[in-house]
Amino acid sequence: MTSGAGVFFDGVTSARHDAVVTLAASGLQIAGPDGALLAEWPYDAIEGLAAPDAVLRLGRRGNRVLERLEILDPTFAAAIDARASYVDRTGLRQRRQRTSVIGWSVAATLSLLAVGYFGVPAIAERLAPLVPAGIERKLGDAVDMQVRGTLDTRHLGAAFECGTAASEKPGRAALDKLVHRLEAAAALPSPLRTFVVRREEANAIALPGGQIYVFRGLIAKADNGDEVAGVIAHEIGHVAHRDGTKSVLEGGGLSLLFGMLLGDFVGGGAVVIAAKTVLQSSYSREVEAAADRYGAELMNKAGGNARALAVMLGKIGGATEPGMKILLDHPETKARVAAINKIAAARPGSPLLDAADWAALKKICAG
Amino acid sequence: MSSLEPATAASSEARLGAQFLGAQFLGVRFLGNARIYWRLLMRGAALLIVTLGIYRFWLTTDVRRFLWANTEVAGESLEYTGTPLELLLGFLIAIAILIPVYAGFFVAALDLGTLGQLSGVLAFAALGLIGQYAIYRARRYRLTRTIYRGVRFHQSGSAWRYAFCAVFWWTLTALTCGLAYPFQIASLERYKMRNTFYGDLGGSFAGSGFALFVRGFPMWLMVFAPLALTVGAFIDVVDWKALADAVEHGGGDVMSRIEGSNPGLAAVIVFAMLMAGLAASAAALLYPAFQALILRWWSSGLRFGELEMRSSLRTRHVYSAYMRFLWYAILFSIVMVVIGGSALLAVGLLAGDDKTGTGGEVVATGILLVGYVVAALGFSTIYRATVMLSLWQLGMESLQLSGLSALDRVKATGGPSSPLGEGLADALNVGGY
Repeated sequence: MTSGAGVFFDGVTSARHDAVVTLAASGLQIAGPDGALLAEWPYDAIEGLAAPDAVLRLGRRGNRVLERLEILDPTFAAAIDARASYVDRTGLRQRRQRTSVIGWSVAATLSLLAVGYFGVPAIAERLAPLVPAGIERKLGDAVDMQVRGTLDTRHLGAAFECGTAASEKPGRAALDKLVHRLEAAAALPSPLRTFVVRREEANAIALPGGQIYVFRGLIAKADNGDEVAGVIAHEIGHVAHRDGTKSVLEGGGLSLLFGMLLGDFVGGGAVVIAAKTVLQSSYSREVEAAADRYGAELMNKAGGNARALAVMLGKIGGATEPGMKILLDHPETKARVAAINKIAAARPGSPLLDAADWAALKKICAG
Repeated sequence: MSSLEPATAASSEARLGAQFLGAQFLGVRFLGNARIYWRLLMRGAALLIVTLGIYRFWLTTDVRRFLWANTEVAGESLEYTGTPLELLLGFLIAIAILIPVYAGFFVAALDLGTLGQLSGVLAFAALGLIGQYAIYRARRYRLTRTIYRGVRFHQSGSAWRYAFCAVFWWTLTALTCGLAYPFQIASLERYKMRNTFYGDLGGSFAGSGFALFVRGFPMWLMVFAPLALTVGAFIDVVDWKALADAVEHGGGDVMSRIEGSNPGLAAVIVFAMLMAGLAASAAALLYPAFQALILRWWSSGLRFGELEMRSSLRTRHVYSAYMRFLWYAILFSIVMVVIGGSALLAVGLLAGDDKTGTGGEVVATGILLVGYVVAALGFSTIYRATVMLSLWQLGMESLQLSGLSALDRVKATGGPSSPLGEGLADALNVGGY
């Protein structure tokens, strides 16, 4: 077929022109019913546009004037399709483009995951030391408020902290002595603030800005001052490594990566949260191992018994419930104990707290 | 001719003949095949999962191309010329703008002064404003990518002005529990249509906010009257001072103290729950009617010069669209529960007694996660393929046009706008079709 009927729109007004379309050698010739030439389109300048299934809608590539030609006869449409390379009636070019899009998207997803796993902690590592001390302290105060709010379930307020009542003051003094020895050996750029709080768990946490919370359950489980000192040394490790700030930066980075870049994706929220949780857990395993190493070395420097940290971990570690190993923030206790004992000095010095101070510390939350 | 089914060939021949005779199909027709649309959406959903959502730009473009191209006005179908790469670009620009905004809020939240405490409220207000700005810009993008008879639509007007107006109206609507809504949409539509052009043919909006208010008031009453009764009951029956005293004294037997202070409290609470249930059911049952009312009112108010539109949308057709959605959603839920349940059961059996095994736990979590994503995407796909497609089709086919001659003399003006609005709308989750 070399000619057929079509409807032509010249892109200047909305008037409809019934046209006779001819497949000439150089291109499509579009003529009005009276024979006047309306337009001539070279074959490689023609593209197919979105239209209902029964219509072939053609336009000129890259043309600012929106000329449109519509062909209704399927045989004629097929003939034009054969001559014009950019008309894609069978959808083959679109399918190929689609496949490459999918391929690149999958690649992009994989690289997002890689950046999430490797890149974000590396960037947080670089950025954390650049955070000024003032901002870190403000961050620490903000986290402090939230942490106190979460931990202080009985709303004791100021009384949540041990060591304030008259009978508890000797315990507070003993704690200060202990922390002072460790701080002197650590030589940190900013001062620490340590608190013992009325929580029954055997645990301790460190916040950005140098605040350390020791739970009274830990002191209850310990048998001597070196065991408590070991845990505090581990927490000082977190402060020295600025792990709190890094964790905030990592959380922000992952939120950005998975939250923003994924955008408006129904059901994507769950994937985002899952990805963040798994990735953040994997970061913290290495972080805890590094804090273990720092704690053991600090105990050596302060003249204490680094093995006491390992002993304490053994006591606490046995109490964790078996379960989601991937989500366990702390690596296997046995592995940690072995690592600490390797670093521990061969002959530790005298205990960091004498008997009287230890007895006082044990009673820090008694009042 | 052999590649097409006979029906299509016959109808195209008829149209060929009709066009040569100069006759036109007046009114609006929707030519799209629902099955093709289902396939488009399902393939899109599967690819969304595989690409973690990056495919959404291609899916959106495909959906719009399908809907626009199958909507025929006076014998000519619309054409959508947007591309997925434009949407992707718009999104990237949007993130570049939003990152500093989010970072600013984060830093402000750290500062525990008054600014910090207000930062949550400020963030909400600012994002609301930016969201409305994005909606106006996105509408401009969609309009300028819509071509009819070789002439482009476009939109003028200030997106910031629209954003501030919209936020003002939304606040008013919230304060009046929804009574201001008809006036809100009338005012905003007037602004939008005043700034909408087909070539050099300007648009306008003739719908009256008061007319909508009058027609919608009975529905509002049916939903809010039970809630008002509840509030009245609480104020009337409950002795607030005694209740406050009981709570303050606290202690272990707070509950019995509270009961003692206000003997009617239990009855009032039960009444409140009943009324809340009533209000919720009324809202759910009336929602399709509400949608139909707004769509009919809005379509009947559109004007382009002499071209006038009237809608004869029937409410019962909208109800059947929602019924179809419920039916498919229930079927889908049953299938999900059966498949998910048996998968978890299989994992449990295979893991055996090894309760601490990480393998089993990981697989189970994985199944739950995949199940959640599939469920969310599945319901969304079913909603789009039933309700949204039906509303589009019903809305279009119930349009009666008069003054069509206005469409023949339009001159082309305006050019394509940037996709920033679409990008912002996508990043802030305020998308539409």
